[in-house]
Amino acid sequence: MKSIHRNPETAGIGLRLAHLAEMVATRPPTAWLEFHPENFLANPHAAELLSELSGRYAISLHTVGISIGSASGIDRQYLKRIRSLVDRIDPFLVSGHLAWSTYGNEYLNDLLPLPYNEESLSVVAVHISEVQDSLGRPYLIENPASYVGFSSSTIPEIEFLAEIVRRTGCQFLCDVSNIVVSGHNMGYDAHEYIDQFPADAIAEIHLGGFTPEEDPATPGAELWIDTHATAIAAESWDLYSYALRRFGWKPTLIEWDNDIPSLPTLLGEAASADEIARAIQSEAPYANAP
Amino acid sequence: MRTLPETQSQFRDALIQSDADAVAALRRLLVGGIDPQRRLSIHQRNYQKSLIEALLVKFPATGWLMGSAFVRQAAERFVCERPPTAPCIAEYGAEFPAFLSQELGSERAPYLRDFAELEWCVGQVSIALDRPPVTAEQFSEIDPNMLPNTFLTLQPGLHFLEARWPVDELITLYLTETAPDRFELPSSEVRIEVRGARGQFYLSRLDAAEFTFRKSIAGGHSIGDAAEFAINSSADFDPGQALAAMIAAQFITGINRDRE
Repeated sequence: MKSIHRNPETAGIGLRLAHLAEMVATRPPTAWLEFHPENFLANPHAAELLSELSGRYAISLHTVGISIGSASGIDRQYLKRIRSLVDRIDPFLVSGHLAWSTYGNEYLNDLLPLPYNEESLSVVAVHISEVQDSLGRPYLIENPASYVGFSSSTIPEIEFLAEIVRRTGCQFLCDVSNIVVSGHNMGYDAHEYIDQFPADAIAEIHLGGFTPEEDPATPGAELWIDTHATAIAAESWDLYSYALRRFGWKPTLIEWDNDIPSLPTLLGEAASADEIARAIQSEAPYANAP
Repeated sequence: MRTLPETQSQFRDALIQSDADAVAALRRLLVGGIDPQRRLSIHQRNYQKSLIEALLVKFPATGWLMGSAFVRQAAERFVCERPPTAPCIAEYGAEFPAFLSQELGSERAPYLRDFAELEWCVGQVSIALDRPPVTAEQFSEIDPNMLPNTFLTLQPGLHFLEARWPVDELITLYLTETAPDRFELPSSEVRIEVRGARGQFYLSRLDAAEFTFRKSIAGGHSIGDAAEFAINSSADFDPGQALAAMIAAQFITGINRDRE
């Protein structure tokens, strides 16, 4: 079964295993679903249910296991498994992260930061091109949520992203909440970041919850953690409005991966995103309005 | 300037093993806050917490048997010593039963490894899918002279587990929530067939010959070799009857002239 292959016109939700059976049974009204292949590739029963849903919903694939930033290279066997899933589901978008998550044959199960310099740029660009060649379609790269940077960085993150596009022709998944989190943690202005984002290459937006906690590096200060364990914060909704005014509407997804709420709660967050989009569109219709 | 491979090597050691030298080596490289290397704890936590939770979700019966604190502490050590080597969490944890059995405190439950391996198998078959089975008619088309040199593919949701303790009885107590106040588990060898698909599973005990035959076929041996192994176990073993039983149970999904 192939996914309904068209760009959705309203916000979607991240499909997690906890909601899978309920989604199949109730078919709630949401335009699209995004799934992590790492949750389905080794779970044939879940993959069967996903195939069933792909006949009803537009689907996008968001991988956390393709490690485009690893100096030791990307796992080509895994890439083949992703290709096979892409051929089966035909998602309307395929995305991953500007990060590294493997070391040799080890999967470190986290999105780890990269120094932004020419060496990393070369590694990332080669791997993105390899992924795009292998999948036969554009790959979307998500901007990271950062807790640390590197003194060896020589290129601002936003310029690093722009150069990736120039070298590979990839597209972007703009995670608005990651910009809020990173802006707070690394001390930059989130609105300026949006202003400089390579807008033409954006194909998707993410929104996810974050959790404030005490900064272990600076006593008394707060660090914001990209937990995807809470409702979308006011700061993210505000920046989302700002981003829509700058980028126009893009397929927007609500991510909630931990302390997963009821399906209606998740759908309610997607409805909130749609409400903001409608309000902004009524101010001045987007050039790219569906 | 440190190269990317060097940086990632140190980051990996700091992340997985909380290696003090690696953390110290990263100190001058990291930025973020007054004492940036302390923020590595966020990534250490992300790595450890997600994998520990995944193991606890996969081994709830083992937690019931040994106490959740014991299993959690073992999981904490396991994720540091055995990082995942596959991208999917569903594939992580096959080595955990053997690891558990080496942990201090496991000596009070000599059946722990068998029990945890059974729980792992149950988890694996529960997410499997049945494939269309070979019918008796299809099977009858095989030239009888070629039958001994024929290989079979079995349903993916089939596992064969040889245990030194009747751990199938023990896990049934957990699954049916019927644990008595006192339960004696005498050592006795059992051969368990774990069969499942789409969230369902069941456990069956097999005699030594039948178990050997089915497990050998599942392991890639020809029908002839599997029959010979089984007859070595019991001279009364009837390969024809055993094959008929497997066909009737819809276990066989492929007939192959060569080893797969």
